[in-house]
Amino acid sequence: MSKDAAQAHLDTYLAQVHRHLRGLPDAEVRETLAELRSHVLDKVAGDFTVPRVEAAIAELGSPREVARVNVTERVIADLEESRSPLRVLRSVGRLASLSLYGTFAFLVSFLGYGSAAAFLVTALAKPFFWDKAGMWVYRDPTGDLNVSIGLTDAPQAHEVLGGWIIPIGLAAAVVLAWLTWRFGLFSLRLMGRRARRAR
Amino acid sequence: MERERTGPPDDLTGWETQVRKGGLSLAVLAILWPDRLYGLEILKRLDAEAGMSIPEGTIYPLLNRMKTEGLVTSEWVEADAGHPRKYYRLTETGRRRVRDMAASWRTFAQGLERLLAPLEGGSR
Repeated sequence: MSKDAAQAHLDTYLAQVHRHLRGLPDAEVRETLAELRSHVLDKVAGDFTVPRVEAAIAELGSPREVARVNVTERVIADLEESRSPLRVLRSVGRLASLSLYGTFAFLVSFLGYGSAAAFLVTALAKPFFWDKAGMWVYRDPTGDLNVSIGLTDAPQAHEVLGGWIIPIGLAAAVVLAWLTWRFGLFSLRLMGRRARRAR
Repeated sequence: MERERTGPPDDLTGWETQVRKGGLSLAVLAILWPDRLYGLEILKRLDAEAGMSIPEGTIYPLLNRMKTEGLVTSEWVEADAGHPRKYYRLTETGRRRVRDMAASWRTFAQGLERLLAPLEGGSR
């Protein structure tokens, strides 16, 4: 009975770690969980009871913390192979759920690349949809002034850049994408340093 | 009465922690020099022989990084304990790296020792 309870306790812990490891490839997740299980079994040294398993798990760390150092280490290793914007965005996404800063970095990256895409699409669409594509200023029903970019049919919207949206939009897209990429790299390095500092 | 300023104890603890962290990679590679070991054995020897007590969950990401860098290899072995264990061993690249790191560490330590020598006498 005690052995079953200890087994259930260990399985629950590993399932929680598994949930936080979802940013890693499946084979790596299986390997990590198997190693953690082996570690706990070594630690209890044959005395497979709930208190011993609990103590061993406590020394390993919380599921989120164990997952965070594993995923961060993997992300940093991946970055040494490639720092392409796509790789950086994917890496930031992997760490998004593992810390508050990770979530912040992901949101900023999402907004940054989203804005860059909006400028790019608008600039490219302008020659084909001259009256609909651009940067627009309009008052909403409450009277507040709003600025938006993209395609619109709204009759109350007033376009402000005209043809200039093409060079300005292209330049803004490049600058925003570059800044977002640099911010992603900075964030990943910062989170990597924090994870290594945990040792 | 003038009090001697030695700084808060936490400053010394923090500094010691930083020094130990700096030597962690070297210590792990050096522990693997004679033979293959599994995670818990590495942790126990780090603690017993080098006074390096690290959070247990952090040793595996470090070993994985060393594996990615080609410094160690790993293999699962069915152990007498009744469950499989993952053993780590140094690669040839790892052996070269630990020799280079050890040489660099000794040079650094010898230089520091020379600077610390006047402290032995206890006089200013």
